[in-house]
Amino acid sequence: MNEGKILLFGFNRSAIEIGTRLKAQGFPFTCIDNNAALLPYAKKLGFELLIMDYSEDDTLLSLGVSEDVSFIFTLFEEDVHNVFLTLCLRALDPNVQIISTTHTKDAIHKLEIAGVNTILDPYQICGKRIYKLITQPEIMQIIDATIFGEEDINMEQITITEHSALNGVLLSECYPTQNYNMLLIGLHDKELKKEFIFITEGHNHTLDQGDILVVIGKSAEIERFRIDFNL
Amino acid sequence: MLLEHQHSKLKFYFDIFMVALVLISVLFLLYEVKHPDGHPFLDAFVQFSLVVFIIEYLLRFWIYSDSHKLFLEHYEYAINNNLPFSLPQTLLALVKKKVEYILSPLAIIDLLAILPSYRPLRFLRIFLLFRIFKLFRYARSMKTFTSIITEKKFELFTLAIFASFVIFTGSSAIYIFETHQNPKINTLFDALYWAIVTMGTVGYGDIVPVTTEGMVVAMILIILGVATLAFLTSIIVSSFQNKLIELKESRTFADVDKLESYIVICGYGRVGEVVAKMLHEDGYKLVIIDNDETKIKLAQQRGLIGIVADASKSRILGELGVGKRAAQIICATNSDELNVFITLTARSLSEQIIIIARVIKNTHKKKYFLAGANYAFSADETIGLMGAQYITQPISYAALDEMLTENTGVLFDMVPIHEHAFFINQPIAALNLSEKRLLLFGILRQNSVLAFEFNPSPHCLLQLHDTLIIMGRKHHINLLRKHNDQGNMG
Repeated sequence: MNEGKILLFGFNRSAIEIGTRLKAQGFPFTCIDNNAALLPYAKKLGFELLIMDYSEDDTLLSLGVSEDVSFIFTLFEEDVHNVFLTLCLRALDPNVQIISTTHTKDAIHKLEIAGVNTILDPYQICGKRIYKLITQPEIMQIIDATIFGEEDINMEQITITEHSALNGVLLSECYPTQNYNMLLIGLHDKELKKEFIFITEGHNHTLDQGDILVVIGKSAEIERFRIDFNL
Repeated sequence: MLLEHQHSKLKFYFDIFMVALVLISVLFLLYEVKHPDGHPFLDAFVQFSLVVFIIEYLLRFWIYSDSHKLFLEHYEYAINNNLPFSLPQTLLALVKKKVEYILSPLAIIDLLAILPSYRPLRFLRIFLLFRIFKLFRYARSMKTFTSIITEKKFELFTLAIFASFVIFTGSSAIYIFETHQNPKINTLFDALYWAIVTMGTVGYGDIVPVTTEGMVVAMILIILGVATLAFLTSIIVSSFQNKLIELKESRTFADVDKLESYIVICGYGRVGEVVAKMLHEDGYKLVIIDNDETKIKLAQQRGLIGIVADASKSRILGELGVGKRAAQIICATNSDELNVFITLTARSLSEQIIIIARVIKNTHKKKYFLAGANYAFSADETIGLMGAQYITQPISYAALDEMLTENTGVLFDMVPIHEHAFFINQPIAALNLSEKRLLLFGILRQNSVLAFEFNPSPHCLLQLHDTLIIMGRKHHINLLRKHNDQGNMG
C-alpha cells in the first residue's frame, strides 16, 4: 500500500465523509481550506484543518507535494477551484494521485485535461442510484445493504504474492473461492492495460505475482482465504 | 356528463359537432338573406339544429343543479336540527337555482339562439347571430378571452369612463360649433358619429369640420383617440400574455392527466437531469416540477413534461396525481427542508407511492425516513465511501465504479423462479452458471426470515418465488432467463 500523506482540499460535507472513513481505517490525513470561518466547525467534528492560501505553489510545496504526498482530493464546491488546483498540483508532481469532485458536466472534461486521476461525480452517482432504485429496486437495496451498508459483506482486493499457492495457477482451474463464503468478482492483470476485468468476461489466464483479485464476502472469510494462500 | 366533463374524449367530439352545427346554421342564415324561399334540405337541417339546441338547453337546465340532492340536503338539515321540514321553502330554493341558470349569460345566449326560430318571434332574427356566441361554450380559448375581459374589469372600466368622457365632450363641442355652419351635422347623433369615427382614427371623411374651432376639436380628439386605443391594446395584450402561460400550463396538466403510473421528479437540477435522462431513454413516463422556469424550458426541449411550480405546495402534487396515478416520486431538489417537506406531502397524499429522496446533509437522513421516504441516501456518503476505497483499494474501487455505472456492460439483474420455471427445485450447481459466464451474487428469498442469502452453496435447492441476483453481461443473463422460462437447454 502506498504510504504517503493524504491531503483533502476544501472542507465540506464530502471531505467530512471521506475524512470520517479514513479516520476509521487509521489513515492520517490533512484538511486544507482558505476559509477561516470553518475552523470552529472542524474543531467540533474533531478534524484537523489548516487554513492557507492553496493557490500559491510554495504553500503546496510546504505541504509536501512532490515529496511525500501520494493522494490529493480536491473537493471544492466551485469547479473553478478544483480545476485550477488540479492543474497546479499536476505541474508540481506528475505522479501524485488526484481525485476530484465535480458539480457541472462541462468540468469533467476540463478536469481530465488538467490531469486528474479519478473524478467523483456526486450527481452522476446519485442519479444513477435513483435510476436503479426505480428500475431494479431489489438489486439496489441488496447492493446498498451489503457492499455499502452495515452488513458484514465487503469488497476487498487481494494481491497475489510471489510465495502464494495461487501464483502460476490457471484462473478456471483453481477457483479456490468455492471453499470460502466469498465471490471472486474479477481481477486486475498487471500485464493487461485494462484496470479491471470482471470474472464473467471469461478470460482464462494464469495468475501471476502482482495480479490483483477483487472479492466480495465476509471479512472473516476473506481473512481466512488470505492466510490459507499466503496472501 | 358529456356537457361538463373537462378532459373527456367524448366532450371533445361533442364540442366539435356543436361548433359545426352552429357555423352551418349561421351560414344558412346568410344564405337566406338572398334566397328567402329557402331550400327543402336546408329547412330540414335548420329544424334538426334547432332540436339539438333545444335539447342541449334543457339538459343544461336539468344538470345545472341536482334537485334531488338539494331536496335531500334540505330534508336532512331539517331532521338534524329538529326543525319542521318546509316543502315550499325547499321548492323555492330549487326554483332559485334554476332561475340562476336561466339568467346566466351563457344560458341567455343559448336561449336567444333558439327563440328567433319560433315564427311569431321572426323579428328577432338578428339574434340568430347569437348562435355564434354559443361558440364560447365549446372553445376553451374563447373562454380565456372572456376571462381576460372579466379579469381586467377595473382597467377597462376606467378606460371606458375616460373614453366616454372624451367622446361626450368632443361630440357636444362639434355640435355647438358647427350645427349651423356645417350642413352635414344636423343632430346630436351626427356629432356623436363623427366624434367616434375621428377618435377611432378611422376618419371616413363623410363629415369634416369646416370651422377653425371644429378643426381644433378634431385635432384634440385624434390625439386623445390614439392614446386611448394604445392604452386599450396594451391592457389586452399584457393580460393575454399572462393568460397564455396559464393556458399552456393547463395543457400540460391535461397531458399529465392522460398518463398512468408515471414518475414525478421534483427538482431538475443535475441529479434530476441525470435521472430523467436515463429513465426517459428507458421509456418511463416522467413529470418534472421545478420552480425555475429556465430549467423547465430545458426539460421541455428534451421532450419531457415539465411544469413550473413550487413542489412544496400540496395542491400542486395533488393536481399532478400524486396519490392517484403517480407510482413514484423523486425528491431531488438541492434543499433538505424542501425534500423532506415534499416527502411528507407525498406520503400524506398516498400510502402506496414510492418515495425516493436525495439527502443533502447526511445528518438529516433519519428525518427522511420519519417523513415516510422509502429510500433516502446522500451522494456525499457514497463519495466518502468511494474516496476512501480509492486510497486503500484502487482496484476494488474500479470494480465498484464499474458495477455502479455499468460502463463495461456487466450488470446486475434478477431472474425470478416462478411457477413454470425450469430451475424450480434444482440445485444451484445444475445451473452451470460459470460455464454460462454468469456469477450468482445471491438469492432473494420470499418465504424466509433472512430475505437475502449471499453466495448460497451449490447444493442449495431453488424454491418457488426465489429470485436469483445474477451478475454478468446482458446477453448472457437473457439466455439464462430464456432457459428458465422455456426449459429447453439453450
